[in-house]
Amino acid sequence: MSNEYAILPCNGLDKCAGCISREVALKMMEQTESEILCPVLYRVTDARYNKIAEEKPLLVVDGCKTRCASKIAAEKGLKVAKKITVTEEAKNRNMEIVDGLRIGENELKLTDDIVTELLKEKEKDEMLEGKSIFPETYEYEFYQKDKFIFRLPSTGFYFNENDVWVYIVGNKARVGVTDYVQKSLSDIMFFTPPAVGSEVEQFGELGCIESGKAVFEIISPVSGKVTSINDKLVSFPEWINENPYEKGWIVELELTELEEDQDLLLDYNAYLPIMKRKVDEFHV
Amino acid sequence: MVVEKNIKIGVVSCSGEDCLGGTISRMATRKMMDENTAYTVATLCLPLFLAGGEEERGFARKYPTIALEGCSKYCAKRATEKYSGKVSDVLNVADFIGDEMAESKLLSTRNLTDEHMQMINQVLTELRKKLDAIAKDCAVANGSDHELTGNCGCSCGGNK
Repeated sequence: MSNEYAILPCNGLDKCAGCISREVALKMMEQTESEILCPVLYRVTDARYNKIAEEKPLLVVDGCKTRCASKIAAEKGLKVAKKITVTEEAKNRNMEIVDGLRIGENELKLTDDIVTELLKEKEKDEMLEGKSIFPETYEYEFYQKDKFIFRLPSTGFYFNENDVWVYIVGNKARVGVTDYVQKSLSDIMFFTPPAVGSEVEQFGELGCIESGKAVFEIISPVSGKVTSINDKLVSFPEWINENPYEKGWIVELELTELEEDQDLLLDYNAYLPIMKRKVDEFHV
Repeated sequence: MVVEKNIKIGVVSCSGEDCLGGTISRMATRKMMDENTAYTVATLCLPLFLAGGEEERGFARKYPTIALEGCSKYCAKRATEKYSGKVSDVLNVADFIGDEMAESKLLSTRNLTDEHMQMINQVLTELRKKLDAIAKDCAVANGSDHELTGNCGCSCGGNK
């Protein structure tokens, strides 16, 4: 998942709105690569957070009109990219926040609504800027078997047991095959893409790639609607061999059932032993 | 058992955006607020306290206050003593769950496990003991034949 915000929540502990600001920050962190700045620790020590605040756009999440988080941002001279106040967000949605500190269903729903909207806005901003919302490069871990070296991105990617990866940003996802697939197939010669606009379920087919050795059906790790294909692969399928995670990505989807799909997604730590076993058994 | 609602005690809790200890301290404080005590417990919002909240700072000057720390950075104690005065007692979550656990990744309250809930209850039990002890001091000081000296700051004459 891509880098998103440096988030400064008010994190108050005298009103429920402060508790919601914390939940918003945590949920944003879970769904993106945002990082949270602790408003208390930030006052005590600058060093820990200054770099994060400089590198990422700053999202300030105030709980109430006291706007403690905004005050910290102002005191530290931080440039604020986006600012919200939980009580105002509730008011805009005709939602009431409870008096105590306990977060109930209503407050969780408000949290989810705020996060969904923030992610949509972020995505829209990225698209308006004409940039892909997906990073151009990633960092990899390597697994070597004899002379063969397999790249596997260690953060932000999820996989299925069919050796297909997905990288998720908000409700968008990019899908491709792993290094294990391209090495197993050897020189990829054909790419048959799915139709843009078509819908696919988790474990449904998303086109196929073919080498002199075999045809590989791309099994979708998530459910969604195909919004884009990497049409360059039709002319240059060898890009998948060159780097299946970057220039060799296959399709982009608009996610439809991510919450349910997540149960069957594997992160790096879960997928690595599966890939190792396949490599060891297959003797590429 | 002390039964005096006019006894007021503050809890300045780490609000926890840096590590799990903060989540635990935050939840323990919240649970404390749900309990019926024979005295009044007020939670003082640490971010507001730091942002210049005069009500919070004034309360901590006037009434005995406990700092509940998420980890060994002691943010709550340091802030209280900087802006209000000496705290009556300090409780560090890391003393119960260990430094490594306290400084591990923070969690949403919706992802807390039974193990985390046990930690929260453990801290809550200790917090309750400390609050009871302070309340008892205040109540004794309210009597005429106590041996305590000094002032707890809550106008009751008890030790701080």
